[in-house]
Amino acid sequence: MRLVLVDSLFEARSNFYPLSLGRPLWELRAGTSSLADKLISRIQPDDTAYFVPDYMADVYRAQVNEPVNDMAALAGDDLFFVNPVVQADSFKVQAKGASEIGLDEGGVVIYARINKNDVKRLASDDIETFIATAKAKLPNAICELPLWNYTWDLILANSEMITAEFAAIGRNGFEGSLEEPVAVRGSRKDVYIAPRVKVHPMVTIDAEHGPVYIDERVEIHPFTRIEGPCYIGKDSILLGAKCREGNSIGPYCRIGGEVEESIIHGYSNKYHDGFLGHSYVGEWVNLGALTTNSDLKNDYSNVSVMLDGRRAIDTGSTKVGSLIGDHVKTSIGTLLNTGSYLGAMALIMATGKPLPKHIPSFGWFIEGIVTKGFGKGKLYETAKTAMSRRKCEWTPAIQAMWDAVFEMTAPVRNKAIKKGRRTLLK
Amino acid sequence: MATVEERVKAVTANVLKLNIDEIKLSDDFAADLGAESVQSIELVAMFEEEFGIEMDEDAALSVQTVGKAVEFITDVCKQQGVEIEE
Repeated sequence: MRLVLVDSLFEARSNFYPLSLGRPLWELRAGTSSLADKLISRIQPDDTAYFVPDYMADVYRAQVNEPVNDMAALAGDDLFFVNPVVQADSFKVQAKGASEIGLDEGGVVIYARINKNDVKRLASDDIETFIATAKAKLPNAICELPLWNYTWDLILANSEMITAEFAAIGRNGFEGSLEEPVAVRGSRKDVYIAPRVKVHPMVTIDAEHGPVYIDERVEIHPFTRIEGPCYIGKDSILLGAKCREGNSIGPYCRIGGEVEESIIHGYSNKYHDGFLGHSYVGEWVNLGALTTNSDLKNDYSNVSVMLDGRRAIDTGSTKVGSLIGDHVKTSIGTLLNTGSYLGAMALIMATGKPLPKHIPSFGWFIEGIVTKGFGKGKLYETAKTAMSRRKCEWTPAIQAMWDAVFEMTAPVRNKAIKKGRRTLLK
Repeated sequence: MATVEERVKAVTANVLKLNIDEIKLSDDFAADLGAESVQSIELVAMFEEEFGIEMDEDAALSVQTVGKAVEFITDVCKQQGVEIEE
């Protein structure tokens, strides 16, 4: 059976902006792994095929060894489509059985189980038509399963996911090197330190309220305190960090200061002091010293987020910090309001005041307004430099993907720039 | 209508807080007029607003002198069909 993940099954992929601008939805991380890892682990397919938005297909093709946007991958096997925002731990539909399309009450495809004999009669040129035809020709079933609807859903569920996945992985113990004194609070059964991890002296690992999983080759500098539930990804470095509960960090991150209930994708840095709470951070982000975000309003009311720069969405939670897109750079002393949105490739030069809650992708926030700054060319140069420092390559395909994102996000950015110009002209 | 040169000098004087009479075509925005990098971004924004044009950031920010800015903006205005007094 072949698992097929299709990004366009869930129409509101913009609910996961800015993080989904540069990756398919199933590459969002939470707990100890990506959403794709969780679905694959749950469904146990023989192999997987992926269908992503065209503009990111070349980049994604370079990241995975399996077919991407290849209709030929639908032939020759039973198929099992699963909506990538289905919560994997709640997904108990049998992968094998008669052909059936599972829909929620709004008609959104949650899963599609299609036997290989049926695949032949659904043949079409594109994946959207294929699924629409399957929905029309094959038996439908109503199913209600919990979905991830917004990025902050992942943030708010992260502690529980780490705890559940730590138990499912079933590892504990100390395989890396620890230089004494290292203090471990709680049960040592709730701590796993992988091979080639280096824990320096004067580190506290507190597993009293949840497990701590430290993956391979992590280095933990003195005076770091890690509270569980927590997952530290491979090759990350903690620099005297106050790592509060509910964090999933890495791989290849550099983290200092205070971090709480946050998910940080690979190759991002928050090297220095400053608080990051209930936030989701993309790849290749650098948060300058003393960058701090609010994750709780003074009046304890629900936090709202503006994903499109215009309409505030009530998160339903009193605790939501910042959504920070790939390649964002913040200057020293950046202050982020509760429920802030920093679009991909945004560059922030702080003014000492809290930022507006929405900074568009590729926006240069300078002197208190969104500007065109030095343009996307300079941002690309910086991204290229940052990646080369970690021996990663900025490829023509990556640049083409971000060019497409630049165009997609232009209307929102241009409005913000015009608003800034009006301020300048006053 | 004022000429492109007059309008460029007026915007430059306004953004950089200078006396317009002190600005010469040969002046380098950074070396002679003291424009910092952030102000150069503001200059580009204000030239766009003044002339109603869209400029490529990389090309616009590579212009170093007032005289070159006049030439550059004149070319962009012509390309974009904006009426100007030369």
